[in-house]
Amino acid sequence: MNKILKEKDFIKRIEEISNQKISDCYQCGRCTAGCPFAEFMDAPPNQVIRFIQLGLKDDVLQAHGPWFCAACLVCQTRCPRGVDIPRLMEAVRVLHLRAKEGLIDVDSIDKELLLDAPPLAFMSAFSKYTY
Amino acid sequence: MKFPYYPGCTLYTKAKPLNTSMQATFGALGVEIVELPHWYCCGTTFTLARDNRMSLIAPLRILAKAQKEDSRVLVPCSVCYNTLKRTNYILKQDPEVLQILNEHLEESYDGGEQVVHPLEFFRDNKERVKSKIVKDLKGMKLGCYYGCLLLRPEEEIQFDDPESPTIFEEFVSLIGAEPVEFPLKVECCGSYLVVNSPEAAVEATYRLLKNARGNGAEAIVTSCPLCHYNLDALQAKIKGVHSEFRDIPIFYFTQILAIALGLGADSAGLSQNKVSPISLLKEHNLT
Ligand code: SF4
Ligand code: SF4
Repeated sequence: MNKILKEKDFIKRIEEISNQKISDCYQCGRCTAGCPFAEFMDAPPNQVIRFIQLGLKDDVLQAHGPWFCAACLVCQTRCPRGVDIPRLMEAVRVLHLRAKEGLIDVDSIDKELLLDAPPLAFMSAFSKYTY
Repeated sequence: MKFPYYPGCTLYTKAKPLNTSMQATFGALGVEIVELPHWYCCGTTFTLARDNRMSLIAPLRILAKAQKEDSRVLVPCSVCYNTLKRTNYILKQDPEVLQILNEHLEESYDGGEQVVHPLEFFRDNKERVKSKIVKDLKGMKLGCYYGCLLLRPEEEIQFDDPESPTIFEEFVSLIGAEPVEFPLKVECCGSYLVVNSPEAAVEATYRLLKNARGNGAEAIVTSCPLCHYNLDALQAKIKGVHSEFRDIPIFYFTQILAIALGLGADSAGLSQNKVSPISLLKEHNLT
């Protein structure tokens, strides 16, 4: 995975895609406290952000957290520092997806769900998990 | 009164009851809702990557078409509503992006089309709604589930207070039912995670349905087709994980309005709800 970018460019690249200043976060943990999906994440939102702050590219790219982010924006609403966390999560996903990693496997989608769920569920998932 | 209407794709497929009940209720209120000519998909979930301009093309095209009809457009689907409003916000903030996209699409859109949700319309036309109510919903306890997309991000959507909104409860009171407060009314149902992390959506849905029930709700009202799907269809899966779970009917807000307006179960499209609300309506002498 560390083929994707040179280490030194990593923070800058995330900041560009997300339009966020990563040093704004002071690690209060409020984003993680309110995240409905933190329990499913190996590294919850504030930890992913900490990895980015420290330039720990491999840890960021290996974290599952961003894939469980539903872009619900609860954390964005509550962050006392005005950090748009889901934009950071999207930036991490986008780095993978543009390197053709982590793409959604259409064949593995539950067949019953395919027939049953509204198209916007799939359109949304495809827009988040393709490039 | 005429109002341009953008239903969005889902209202023609899996969320037909939302479309049927929109048409029926607005008709009964004396408002002619007129579908935009030649509309397309809005692209669904808004992109959060700043350098992804491609995904602004679909919503811009809709907004530009709508502006040719009127200065306002009615949008009941929370996903479309969010995408169109966020697109407008970017286009207003960033003239360069607006210019590039306008040139690409050969449009001359200015970012100013007003996107109106039916709940906003009802809020601003209370007397019109109230005067047409014929069924007594008194004592029916409804939890108002906002979900994410009507509320956040606050600065861009400007719909209501993102942490303690009241517009939905006001609507439920207006039609004579009793709104029930529950803390998780603004929390996410799992959204598109249902596609590739269904366990997360099942858990999120379970939590918030239990929370609504625990606070006294007999049913839930919502406006988002994806929330409606998760809240309604995932109940069967929830029971597999949490055996104590009890079904709770999920209405689109226009379905319950159709009942209050006396338009009957067909106009409300109730037969398509997976968790049937019929026995609840019977209990309240509404069928
Ligand atoms: S809430 Fe904001 S400041 Fe606090 S840890 Fe999360 S991103 Fe950082
Ligand atoms: S936007 Fe993502 S990270 Fe933030 S609370 Fe929602 S799911 Fe969690």
